[in-house]
Amino acid sequence: MEWMTPLTGLLAGGIAISGLVILYFLKLRRTEQMISCTLLWKRAVQDLQVNAPFQRLRRNLLLLLQLLALGAMAIALAGPVLSLTRGPGKRMVIVIDRSASMNATDVAPSRLEEAKRQARVFVESMRSRAALSLQDSSDQAMVIAFDDRCKVMSNFTADKRQLLAAIDAIEPGDGRSRLAESITVARAFAQSMGVEANNRSSQEPAELVLFSDGRIADRDSVAVGPDEVRYYSIGSAAENVAVTAMQARRSYENPEQVTVFATLANFGAATVRCDIQIAVNGDVRQVQNHEIPAQRAEGDPPQERPGKLTVEFTLSQAGGAVIEVRHTAKDSLARDDAAWAIVSPPKQNRVLLVTEGNAVVESALKACPIQRLEVCTGAQFDAMDTAAMNAQPPYDVIVLDKQSPKSLPKASYIVFGRPPDGIEVTAAAEPLENQPILDWRGQHAVLRYVNLTNVFALKAAKIAVPRDAQTLAEFRDSPAIATVRRGGNTLLLVAFDILESNWPFEPSFILFWYNALAWLGTQTGEQLTANLMTGEPIVIEGLPAGTTGTIAGPGRTSEPISGGDAGVVRYPQTDRAGVYTVSLMQQAAKPFAVNLLDEHESEIAPVTELTLSGQAVASAEGSIGRANVPLWPWIVLGALALVCGEWMLYNSRIRL
Amino acid sequence: MSETQVNSTRHKGLAELLDPRFLARLDALDVLSHRMLRGRLHGQRRSKRRGQSVEFADHRGYVAGDDLRFVDWNIYGRLEQLVLKLFLEEQDLTVHLLLDTTGSIALPDAAKARYVLQLGAALGYIALAGNNRVTLSSFRDGLSGQIANLRGRAYLPRMAEFLLTRNPEGIGDFDRACKQAAAGRIGSGVMIVVSDFLFKEGYASGLRRLISSQYELYAIQVLSPQETEPTITGDLKLVDVEDGDTAEITVSAALLKYYKQNLAAYCNELKEFCVGRGGAYVLASTATPIETLVLDTLRRIRLVR
Repeated sequence: MEWMTPLTGLLAGGIAISGLVILYFLKLRRTEQMISCTLLWKRAVQDLQVNAPFQRLRRNLLLLLQLLALGAMAIALAGPVLSLTRGPGKRMVIVIDRSASMNATDVAPSRLEEAKRQARVFVESMRSRAALSLQDSSDQAMVIAFDDRCKVMSNFTADKRQLLAAIDAIEPGDGRSRLAESITVARAFAQSMGVEANNRSSQEPAELVLFSDGRIADRDSVAVGPDEVRYYSIGSAAENVAVTAMQARRSYENPEQVTVFATLANFGAATVRCDIQIAVNGDVRQVQNHEIPAQRAEGDPPQERPGKLTVEFTLSQAGGAVIEVRHTAKDSLARDDAAWAIVSPPKQNRVLLVTEGNAVVESALKACPIQRLEVCTGAQFDAMDTAAMNAQPPYDVIVLDKQSPKSLPKASYIVFGRPPDGIEVTAAAEPLENQPILDWRGQHAVLRYVNLTNVFALKAAKIAVPRDAQTLAEFRDSPAIATVRRGGNTLLLVAFDILESNWPFEPSFILFWYNALAWLGTQTGEQLTANLMTGEPIVIEGLPAGTTGTIAGPGRTSEPISGGDAGVVRYPQTDRAGVYTVSLMQQAAKPFAVNLLDEHESEIAPVTELTLSGQAVASAEGSIGRANVPLWPWIVLGALALVCGEWMLYNSRIRL
Repeated sequence: MSETQVNSTRHKGLAELLDPRFLARLDALDVLSHRMLRGRLHGQRRSKRRGQSVEFADHRGYVAGDDLRFVDWNIYGRLEQLVLKLFLEEQDLTVHLLLDTTGSIALPDAAKARYVLQLGAALGYIALAGNNRVTLSSFRDGLSGQIANLRGRAYLPRMAEFLLTRNPEGIGDFDRACKQAAAGRIGSGVMIVVSDFLFKEGYASGLRRLISSQYELYAIQVLSPQETEPTITGDLKLVDVEDGDTAEITVSAALLKYYKQNLAAYCNELKEFCVGRGGAYVLASTATPIETLVLDTLRRIRLVR
């Protein structure tokens, strides 16, 4: 037997019962009645008292019944619960999947709501702290919600109301399901004592209770013990049509023409015919009717692969636009029915090359699609009006070829050789010699399709980059290519002289220039990284200090944002897919497209047996039963019966 | 003028208490004493003292000194033995009515007090009509009024006036009343006490004073149905009308059971007290019509005949 709210019960019982007793004493103002002689009555009363030892009680039977009824109600208020489970209390981590696939409506109202409902039942069936019990056999739990990031909703506690509130606070997201972080966090919390350090050993293993549809992207990187995870599979249907890829790109030849590519995937067992529409700034421009093939088994061992369809739209759009691709098929998951892309107005870089003469670089720049190229010497560059350049940058990209200017006006920089001063990048006095490039990050936009295998530098500066810098390629002992952001400027550092390396003879050289100018072009001015995935933060840099504004997006209207002193706006809560609009002071609203575009999330068929790094975790059979039986309804019923009995007794006395 | 009308004019005061037709039926009755008591006059009553009456009782042998006038000479002629004839002597009877006029008689309703007076009137009427000597007393804490030595119908109006002016109130002192009543008695006869006998100090000492060889005791206990079968309910504070004593009760079935048991025991005790001392006891409920009581119950115990 446990008590949910013993204090309330005690308080209510104390007040009500003492009140009743006082009322009862007040009630005993007897009616006076004259009679001929009290002799016989006195004898009768004496007889009654002598013959019935419990007469006092019997005489006050009404009071007794009323007290019992009130007592029963007070007990009911105290919330007694009959616990059907035995043994010591357990520690559990309730992990609820809030990824995009949990928005599917195959279980009404949605998978997430169903998961929350089951989690609530689970919490209610936990054993509470028994207020009047000597041993603490209460269960403790913590609540974690996860998509591609883990969110701790509640630390370990036995307070069910706190846990229920934490569960209720979980909001649906459009992220991917990544469990590894959650498990790491859960284990870290399980090592601590929790909010209530009531002599509970931190060594007690915490059980993971997972409410998910089982569509977990990183299931191979999650290692769990044999009985560590209890898994409740949510969901029933698999039918879903999703936009799994989308790209909008201006044509090189004709910058006013925008080509939109989209891939649609059908995860159902039947072919789906539907309309695919493309909208520009909310207006539908084109509609194509297509048939998306059904899911089919492929490979060895055969695996279900979704039926895919790639569509292409060509639009004429001179200005910037928000482009939406949406299919009209009816399916369970609505979050992946559309994807968005932001197309910037056509723009080409204005490039300044600061050099004492470098034909290689100059010709490489000329080969790239740039608006204008200017060349000057270091002395000429230092002579330029820095303040005017800061106010209105005349160049998007400035290439410093072995130059160290006194100041760095606002622009993006590609630096060859020794880095300039004032960017917290230090170079050793002794240069490195004969350095091959050993490793590079091919995923980075600058080095995409760039193969640096054979690149060799005769002489290179040994540089040390600050912690926030990103190293893109490395010599044996030192970074070869790195990016660093300082004072609102993005600098791409190449730690060697082009002319003292074999790089100009490599095919990767021109690709590097093309990538670097394209990437740096997006790092300044109006060219912003506006196409994001869910969970990626919206970042706007290079703003005047103290800039404030608002952001609106799916499910949120006008949240204030601030650039702070650094002039950088970061908005990380992009957990819903859709178009976010940032409105800053004295600037036009900037749209950002946040997309799900994840095949794994769109495959919504629930997994009944989860395989986490080879460890099979079967879904718990059936729905969660109640381990705790609340007793208050029965006690209230008893109180009602007592009141009825009291009423009957009172009436029988009246009729005497 | 019909007989009823004649009766009603004759007993104008009495008619307020008793129905004239009932009075007419009472004419045929007389008060009876089980002991044939000796009176001062040669009345209509038989006495154990055999004497100058006409009714033969027995014979006995002659003893020197006996009055020769009572020798049965016929037997002497036949048997040559002197045998004395014994006659029953008729004597007059004193009927003493002692009526309760304490406060307790006035409750729980007026019917109880009226019943006592009616009973007094009926018995007084019978006694006066039978040419007996009648003394009527009322008591509270002692005798509160008395009319003594009435004889004959001529006293009926006076008796009626006496009864009608009784006003029941105040504390009762039965012992003192009995002491005074016993002291004022003369001759022999019947002592009839009409009361509810609900005396806190007890009835025993008072009744004991009234018992003597000269007087036969009749105790008529008058109780209201409210007292024998109470119908009160709830939480009550009962106040004694005489002394203001209180009893707090919560009426329950058990309490009523014990009350009735106590009442029955009380009445039984009173009856045994009276019967054990040669008296008689009658429990009269005010629900019983006075006619039934007098013509039926009192006749059955042979108080009247």
